[in-house]
Amino acid sequence: MVNQKKSKVIEKGRLTELLDKLTQGYHLIAPVQAKDVSFRRVESGSEVTLDYINSVLSPKNAFFSQTETLFRFFRDDNRGFQIEPCVEADREQVIFGIRPCDARSLRLMDMVFNGQYRDSYYLDKREKTTLIGLACFEPDETCFCPTFGIDPASGEDVDILFSDIGDRYLVEASTEKGAALLDKFAGFFVEPRGDEEQLRKARKAGLARMKKLDVSAIADKMAPLYGGDYWDSIGLKCLGCGICTYLCPTCHCFDIGDVNLDEGGGRFRCWDSCMFPEFTLMASGENPRPNRKTRIQQRFFHKLKYFYDRNGELACVGCGRCIRYCPVNIDISQIIEEVASGKAGND
Amino acid sequence: MKTSSKEVQDSVKKLFEDGRISHFIGYEAGSDSLRVTPCFLKSGQTVSRLVWNPLCANNLAKYLLDLRKVEGKVGILVKGCDSRSVVELLKENQIERDRVFIVGVPCSGIVDGEKLLAVLGISPGDVVAVEDGGDAFLVTTREGKRRVRKEQVLRGECLVCRYPTPVIYDVLLGEAIPSLPWVRDDYSLVRELEELSAEEKARYWNRELSQCIRCYACRNVCPVCNCPECIFDKKAPRWLSKANDISENLVYHLIRAFHVAGKCVDCGECERACPMGIPLRRLNKKVEKDLLELFGYTAGIDVEQQPPLTKYQVGDLDEFL
Repeated sequence: MVNQKKSKVIEKGRLTELLDKLTQGYHLIAPVQAKDVSFRRVESGSEVTLDYINSVLSPKNAFFSQTETLFRFFRDDNRGFQIEPCVEADREQVIFGIRPCDARSLRLMDMVFNGQYRDSYYLDKREKTTLIGLACFEPDETCFCPTFGIDPASGEDVDILFSDIGDRYLVEASTEKGAALLDKFAGFFVEPRGDEEQLRKARKAGLARMKKLDVSAIADKMAPLYGGDYWDSIGLKCLGCGICTYLCPTCHCFDIGDVNLDEGGGRFRCWDSCMFPEFTLMASGENPRPNRKTRIQQRFFHKLKYFYDRNGELACVGCGRCIRYCPVNIDISQIIEEVASGKAGND
Repeated sequence: MKTSSKEVQDSVKKLFEDGRISHFIGYEAGSDSLRVTPCFLKSGQTVSRLVWNPLCANNLAKYLLDLRKVEGKVGILVKGCDSRSVVELLKENQIERDRVFIVGVPCSGIVDGEKLLAVLGISPGDVVAVEDGGDAFLVTTREGKRRVRKEQVLRGECLVCRYPTPVIYDVLLGEAIPSLPWVRDDYSLVRELEELSAEEKARYWNRELSQCIRCYACRNVCPVCNCPECIFDKKAPRWLSKANDISENLVYHLIRAFHVAGKCVDCGECERACPMGIPLRRLNKKVEKDLLELFGYTAGIDVEQQPPLTKYQVGDLDEFL
């Protein structure tokens, strides 16, 4: 653990200027208001919005893009076929405004991309990124991150945490990387006045009402449900679209494909979804998950059992995106409750 | 929406008791008070789960395709728009008329949750219930009852709905609604775009479609998207790259729009399902408008009427030849 935790304060009026400064030395990724809020690369601080609960798409795109070229290939008349690696991230990046749930999801993704195999594409960006989190004091109805031991007002998984306490932000570095960044921009930060902790405590009051489910033995309780009737009606209701997996900050499955053009091409990887029928389609034509029931069962088993069995953590951070955006209202928090309480037994 | 949940429950209970249906597809309360969720019943004992209220947006006709092989008849609750999707499924012989029992409900508009929250300036957790109150919605909030004029908070497709009463049914619950007072110009959304130059149109659609994440919710939620294997899912040959870029996204959306041409009834499900807020109804409405102007055709009205794009007549327009 790092002990550079030293609180600073930045006046709200100076935030845009700080963000402007950040864009000069870093690729700054921050919440931008379009139709909805999304994390995008910004060129100036004025593009950034702070009026959001969370973005539609999680910031996972900054490390694990929906489509990412792995390498390019082309034919050279003299040298034959050539393969050209893709340029790695050319600059350090800062993600400003990431919520604690999404920050936790990166820790879970690290277990996948920095586990048995080191995924250089993901890790290169991860290592070059400083995460500035924004504490969450007004969560959505669908949020249930405390279920997974996440404190929505804590900076556990970020490098620096900003907490909106009225006229200023309380700023705390929780890693060396974070402390270094604060030092670099020290001119923007002042010493706390003394009432910050009290103000934060007041803002946290509403968080006590957040949904917190019992997931203590969820993996064990999932096991006997495999293949059972419980998934019939959920599978019938499910449309088989990719909203839940693509919006999920912890879903990380990908496919690999080639783009072939006369002048050459490239190999890319892109998000894939276990909700899609061709996800498990084999060359022989056999599909071990031939229907929506088996596919949605897989999604919940991966989140609530397989990932836990492999990594000791559940693959959900309670961000609520899949609940908010599911067109037929399949609700993972309801499913967790039913499984935990035994209501999901096979009838 | 004078029909009550109780009327739906009683009617469905009787259908099960009389042995007229073996399954029923309706709505039940969702996981929060601004949502309902599709509900599948196999007996009359659980009819108390069923609800009917101004949040019942889902077009349940899609599920008839999944229940084609079950024993007995499948009952389904349909609004005006949903009934028109059923007509399209019948036209295409996707379902058999004598294997479904259609329970129609006249519908005077579905509420758009986001608009409602914005107009009332409240958050989702503040809403307790939404009821139909004629020209307004009656919203029970934690702070008391509020009345919101429908025109302010209706879903886009409901603002231009010409068929509030189902066009096909075995039983109709409640009195038919001939027309909705707020419906005026059906195609204002389309006309705005038609007036743009080709470059401006390209810019508009490139901007919108570059947001697409290709989750295929718009396709999967659509009742008339019912190919056993969709061209976009085919692996060999791969017609559409899985790489997400504007050229692939454009191909996807144009093929989708053309493929539902003449079958789309503007139920609005594609746009409702889209997490990225892409205005898909604008594409669909343009195709709908062209079909109306060129062939005088409106989808989902009459099972016997053949879609213009699947039949040939000597007198067909051929100005493009």
